[in-house]
Amino acid sequence: MGHASDGTLRRLVDEPFAIADSTFDHIARCARCRARGEAMAHTASVAARRLSAPQLVPDVDRAWSDFERRVGEPDRGVASRRPARASWPPRRLAGLSLRGGVLAASVAVVVAGSAAGATLSGVFAPTRVAPVAINAQDLRAVAGLMSLGDTGSPGGFPTASGSGSLPFGSLRWTSSGSARSVGSAAAAQAISGVRVVLPARLPAGVGAATTFVVQPRVTATVTFDAAAGKLAGASVVVHAGPAVFVGYGSRSGGSDIPAMGVLVTPRPTASSAGATIGQIERFLMSRPGIPPELAQEIRLLGNASTVLPIPAPKGMSATSVRVDGWPGVLMADPSGVMSGVVWEDGSGLVHMVAGLLGQKSVLDVAGQLR
Amino acid sequence: MRNGRLADASGFGGRPAASSGFEEFYRQHYPHVVRLAQSVLGDFHAAQDVAQEVFLAAHGRFAGDVERAPGWVRVAAVHASLNVIRGERRRERRQRLSAAEEAVSGPEDVVVDREARAELRRALSRLPARSAAVLVLRHGGMSYGEIAQAVGVKVGQVGTMLRRAESALCQEMKHGSCQ
Repeated sequence: MGHASDGTLRRLVDEPFAIADSTFDHIARCARCRARGEAMAHTASVAARRLSAPQLVPDVDRAWSDFERRVGEPDRGVASRRPARASWPPRRLAGLSLRGGVLAASVAVVVAGSAAGATLSGVFAPTRVAPVAINAQDLRAVAGLMSLGDTGSPGGFPTASGSGSLPFGSLRWTSSGSARSVGSAAAAQAISGVRVVLPARLPAGVGAATTFVVQPRVTATVTFDAAAGKLAGASVVVHAGPAVFVGYGSRSGGSDIPAMGVLVTPRPTASSAGATIGQIERFLMSRPGIPPELAQEIRLLGNASTVLPIPAPKGMSATSVRVDGWPGVLMADPSGVMSGVVWEDGSGLVHMVAGLLGQKSVLDVAGQLR
Repeated sequence: MRNGRLADASGFGGRPAASSGFEEFYRQHYPHVVRLAQSVLGDFHAAQDVAQEVFLAAHGRFAGDVERAPGWVRVAAVHASLNVIRGERRRERRQRLSAAEEAVSGPEDVVVDREARAELRRALSRLPARSAAVLVLRHGGMSYGEIAQAVGVKVGQVGTMLRRAESALCQEMKHGSCQ
């Protein structure tokens, strides 16, 4: 028989059992057909990668409500009216390690800073949160990009203020001091200036608040030098914090790991000058070591001037929720042991509640923080 | 009870309300339709807008009989999304022709689409409509048989169309190392 057609070879990639036995036998023996098939499989995989989208989970309840409302409108013009947004993008997301309550915030700052730097030519002032699936390698890559190392320090920086060299410029950061523990929520509020609201009702198993940590506001400036090519002279300034973290112990005691944590911080903001969005994004996301998947996730966030990326361990679930009317993302680990919710309220405060709790408990606590 | 409503939930004197059968269909297929639209548009919000419009149109067509609707909404979502990016392409062309030569960077640049996504959109918009639809539907998870039925070609043609579309897509994209 003759050589297999392009269509047959292509289908072999996706639906091998649909290929006739005789054709299959020929391809197995024919080096030319095999080579063509392999080339097609490669092209197909490239196309698949290009067309792949993050595992976003739309809020079907909300979409359906909007749909019902619009169907009920007497003069609905399908083409003339845009539907209300069906809530913000819930993505594959993640539980936040409670032990890393403050650290999670610092990671958010780092990633947000990266995203901001990657996308801004103007002002970064996010109005909603969105998870970015991230793993340990990604974290190392981001830290490496910013020359932060594995500091584990709130704010992502080893000292309260300082400067350092980057492979493509310089990094300078300033704050009024390092993160520190204080004795109460009132003290944390007085020091940070951030309104701290704590839940009146605690989930079963969660004891009293035991830890109050204040992270002062940090301002980080990246200035690109000649090594950044066309970006030389451009700069990005990221402001983050102050942040307050309140850790709750276990009612049974016996563990250093908080059973629940509550974090509140003004949204990070940034501004950049001297470079266009495309230039900075292409540059930062093409740095050696930045995983392509991470770059893709950040790219797909949409208009990053209004989206705050929240680092989320890969493999976790995420659903969109409303907390006191504000869109947020609810994260949960597959076992249901740990969950967390992050949202930004109308006053520009980003809140996080996370713990060794079920999703319902986390949402119940979140709903009290108004 | 979400699906426990009476099937005849239509209101008198107004547009018929969505039936419980349509609601079940909507809830089952809406996420997938969003995902298909997103793979073209690269934007989750825009994809939800497109999906909603598609389901509204589907409600007018299939409100009482949703058996034929699943394939229709998928193809409609892909075509609607491709129309969106083709419209953008025309708009961009007009803007290029009329814009002043010097482009000053400023806040407006923020709305310039991100490069990778824009590249994909451009590439898809240049493909023949049916090829682009086959490409998106296949990578959206539809079988060759379903695609053939949806776009009105023989099953044997799907592989060929898909192969050509993938090849063209890769050639259109600057960073695609296809061969």
